[in-house]
Amino acid sequence: MKKIIEKALAKGAERCEVFYLSSLDTEVEYEASKLKNLSNTEEMGFALRLVKDGRMGYATTTKADGLDRLVDDAIATSACGETAEFGFAGATDVTGAELVDARIKELSIEEMMKRSEDAIAKLLDYEGEINAESGTKRRIQTVSVETSEGFESTQERTLYQFYISGRLIEGDNMLDAGGYYGGTAMDVGGPKLVDETIADFRNGRTNVDVSSGPTTVILTPRAVADVMMTMNYGVNGSIVERKISPLTDKMGETIFDERVSLYDDGLMETGYSSARFDDEGVPMQRTTLVESGVLRSFLTDLRTAAKLDLPLTGNGLKLKRLIQTKELGKMPTVDITNWDMAGGETPYAEMLAGVGDGVIVDSIMGIMMGNLVAGDFAGNVVLGFKVEGGKMVGRVKDTMIAGNVYKLLKGQLVDLSSEVTRVGLMGFIGSHNYPHLLLKDVSISSKG
Amino acid sequence: MKDRMEQVLKKLSSQCDYLEVHVEETEESRVQFTGPELTDLGKKVDFGGNVRALNKGGWGFASFNSIDRIEEFAQLAIDQATLVGKDKSQLADVEPVKADVTLDLKSDPREVPLERKVEIFRAYNKQVLDHHEDVTSSTVRYFDRFHKRYFANSEGAMIYQERIDLGGVVAAMVARDGDSQSFWVGFGSTDDFGVALGLEGKVTDACNVAIEKLDAPKVKGGEYTVVLDPRLAGVFVHEAFGHLSEADNVYEDKNLQKVMVLGREFGRPFLNVYDTGLDKGLRGHVVYDDEGVPTEKTYLITDGKLSGRLHSRETAGKMGERPTGSARCIDYRYPPVCRMRNTCIEAGESSFDDMIAGTKLGIYAITASGGQTNGEMFTFTAGTAFMIREGKLAERVRDVTLTGNVFQTLKGIDMLGDDLGIHDGPGGCGKAGQFPLPVSDGSPHIRIQNVVIGGE
Repeated sequence: MKKIIEKALAKGAERCEVFYLSSLDTEVEYEASKLKNLSNTEEMGFALRLVKDGRMGYATTTKADGLDRLVDDAIATSACGETAEFGFAGATDVTGAELVDARIKELSIEEMMKRSEDAIAKLLDYEGEINAESGTKRRIQTVSVETSEGFESTQERTLYQFYISGRLIEGDNMLDAGGYYGGTAMDVGGPKLVDETIADFRNGRTNVDVSSGPTTVILTPRAVADVMMTMNYGVNGSIVERKISPLTDKMGETIFDERVSLYDDGLMETGYSSARFDDEGVPMQRTTLVESGVLRSFLTDLRTAAKLDLPLTGNGLKLKRLIQTKELGKMPTVDITNWDMAGGETPYAEMLAGVGDGVIVDSIMGIMMGNLVAGDFAGNVVLGFKVEGGKMVGRVKDTMIAGNVYKLLKGQLVDLSSEVTRVGLMGFIGSHNYPHLLLKDVSISSKG
Repeated sequence: MKDRMEQVLKKLSSQCDYLEVHVEETEESRVQFTGPELTDLGKKVDFGGNVRALNKGGWGFASFNSIDRIEEFAQLAIDQATLVGKDKSQLADVEPVKADVTLDLKSDPREVPLERKVEIFRAYNKQVLDHHEDVTSSTVRYFDRFHKRYFANSEGAMIYQERIDLGGVVAAMVARDGDSQSFWVGFGSTDDFGVALGLEGKVTDACNVAIEKLDAPKVKGGEYTVVLDPRLAGVFVHEAFGHLSEADNVYEDKNLQKVMVLGREFGRPFLNVYDTGLDKGLRGHVVYDDEGVPTEKTYLITDGKLSGRLHSRETAGKMGERPTGSARCIDYRYPPVCRMRNTCIEAGESSFDDMIAGTKLGIYAITASGGQTNGEMFTFTAGTAFMIREGKLAERVRDVTLTGNVFQTLKGIDMLGDDLGIHDGPGGCGKAGQFPLPVSDGSPHIRIQNVVIGGE
C-alpha cells in the first residue's frame, strides 16, 4: 500500500487514500434438503482515491500486478473530477470492538455441514413434505486503509452466517418460513431459529381472510427491520444535504413518540457491520439518532460531514446493497451499520393477549420499491397472522400493508415490547435489535 | 489464457464427472452526479476466474483473483465436489462449442472520452436542477462495462466472448413542505452509446411528472382493475411469472413439479409469454450462456398454458427437458444459476383506448420502480399512475404498489394491447445473492382484473 501511495504522489497527486480488501468465504449449501454445493470464494483488491490539482480521482483493481494501471486510472479520472472539499483521514488511534472469533477461523467444513444438516433434520421432523434449504458460511476478511495524511490501520474480521428456510406446498398454496443469523462471532442460536421456523409453519398452515381498512397491527422485530429501511434514508447525511429528507430541518425536534430511542451502532457486540474503522479510516461509533423521540444526529462520511459541518460518525462505507458484502468498486458513501431500538415496558405475551383483534405482520416484501426517502412504504405481507381475541387464528396472504414510518412511530404507536430481538436477513445490511411494535390504524388492503 | 485453461482441464478433469473454468476481465467507467456535485467518477479493472466441478451429483466451486494459482483452486473445487457427491451427475447433453464472439457495436462507449461523458451527464444534471424551484436535487448515473469472458469445460468447449453493457438514469428529486417525490428516465444497451444521447425531451417530461406527483393524492387501497403500460407490464411478467419458471426452483421439488406441470393453464388462451437471449442490443442479449450453451427463444406460456421453463444443463438433465441456455452469473465470483434474459408478453389485438374506455373504475399504472417475488406472490411499484373513471383517464394518484398471486393474477389478464414495447434500464435482476444481472423485459399495454393495491 505504501508503494501505491508513493507512486501516486510521484505522479503528481497532492494526497491520497488506499483501501485494501481481502476475503476468503467458505460456504456449504443445502438445496431440496440435500447437500448441493461447497464453495470457496477468494477475493482481493485495491481502491485508490487521490487529489491532483485540487480534483478527486478514483480507481480500483483486483489485479495484484495492475497497480501502475490503478495509479494511472486514478490520475486520469482526476482530470475531470470534482473539486475536493474534504480531507482524507489523518492519524487516529483505532482500537475497540473485538472482530475475530477463533471458533469461526477453526470451523471445519464437516462442522458447517453438520450445522445445516441438524437444522434440516429438525425441520423435516416437524413436516417431511417441507422443501428445506440451509447454508452455513464463514468469511475471514481483512480491510486496510492507509492515507498520505497519516492514517494507517488494518482490521481482520471473522463473519459467520447461517440460514434455514423451508417451503411447504399444499395444492397451489405456498408457505415459506425461515431464519437467519449473521455476525462477527459464532452463533449459538441455530436450533432456536429452527424452532421459530417450525412455529411459523404451525401458525401459518391455515389461511384466513382479513378485511381491508385501518387495522391494529403488531410488527415483529423482523417486520420492524423491513419498515425501518425507509428511515435509513431520512437520517442519511447525503440525503439531508440534498434537502429531500423529511428530517432536513428537524434536528433537535421531536419526530417520534417519546418512547422511541434509536441508535446506529458500529460497535455493536458481534454485529454484522461492526468494525473499528469505516472504509475511509474514520473510527466507528455508537451514534444516537433519536433519543426519547427527539432527533439527535445524522449519519455522515468524510464528504458529507465537511459539507454540512456535522460531526463524523464513521458511516463512510463501500457496502453493496442487497448483498451483505463490500463492493470494492464503489466509492464510500453514507450507509447504516447496525441499528438498535430501545424496548418498552410491556412483555410481548402481554401485548399479544391485550391486542384483541388485529394482524401480526412478520415479513414484508417490496419495501425497497416505495418512496423510501419520504418514509412511505407499501408491501405484500409475505408472512402475517390474523389475531382474534389475543390468539393467532391463521395466516393472512394476498394482502398489502402501507404506511409512513414518520406517522407510524408517532401518532400510530401504541406500545413497544420490553423484549428486544436481534434480527438480520440475507439482503439486509447489518444486525438490528428491535422490539415488537403495537400500532393502531395501519392500512391493510386485501382481496374482496 | 486458453492454453492455460486447457492445461488445467487436461490435467485434472479425470478426477471428476465434469469440470469447467471461467476467466473474466472487466473494465468499467462510471459517472455520477448527486445534486450539483460529481460524486463518483471512477474506473475499475476487475480480473478473476473460477473453477466449478461436478462429481456424483455434487458441486464444488472456487473463485479467485490470482490466476497463477488456478490449478490449486481447480483441485479444491474437485475435492469439494467429491465430498458433496453421493448420487449421480446428470447434465443435459449439449454440443461442445468452440467459438469467439467479438463486439459488433453501433456506437462504442469506449471511444467516447471520459471528459465527454462527464460533459453529457453534467448537462442533463443541470437541466434537471434548473427545471423548477421544486426540484431540490438530482441523481444522474452512468456506467459502461467491457467484459472479456473465457469459458472452457472438460467436454471440449472453449468460448471467448466480448460484451459491452451500459446503462444509466437521470432522476429529478422534488420536495415541498417536507414532502418529496421523484421521477426519472432510464436507459441501457449492449451495443449503442447513442441511447445515452438526446434525452433532453424525456428529462423535461420526467421533471414535470415528479412535480405533478407532489400535488397528487395517495391512492386509496383496495382491489381494482388495472391497466399497465408496457414498461410496468414488463416488470410484471418478470416478477409474476418469470422467476417461477426458472427451473432450479422446480427440479428438486416434487410438490412444485405438480403445480408447475407443463400444459397447466395459467392464463386465458390469448396469453403468450417468452424469454429470449436473441435480441441484439438489449441488455438481456446473450450469445452463449455461462455453461457454454447457445441462447434461444424459449416459450414459457403458449395459448395460456405452461409450455416451457428456463434451464441450466443440470435442471434440464434432471427433468428430462431441453436445455435453454439460461444459466447465467453476474461475474466470476458466482456459479451460474437459472436466470431470465429478455422476458416478454406477446402483443394482442386490443387498443389502449379500448382498455381505458371499457374500465369503469380502475388505475392506469405507468413504468416501474421495481418488483419482487417469493414465487407465488409478487409486488411491483408504479413510477406514476392515474385513476380511470367511467372509461376515461382521470386524476393522477401516487404511491401505487400492486400485489398479486401467480395462480390468479395471470388469469386476470383480460386484454392485451397491440403495442409491444421492449425496454432497458440501468438496473438488473437479483437472485441467490447475485445482483444486478442485466435483463430486459417487454410487453404491450395489458389490462388485469382484481389486483390488490396497497394504500390508506
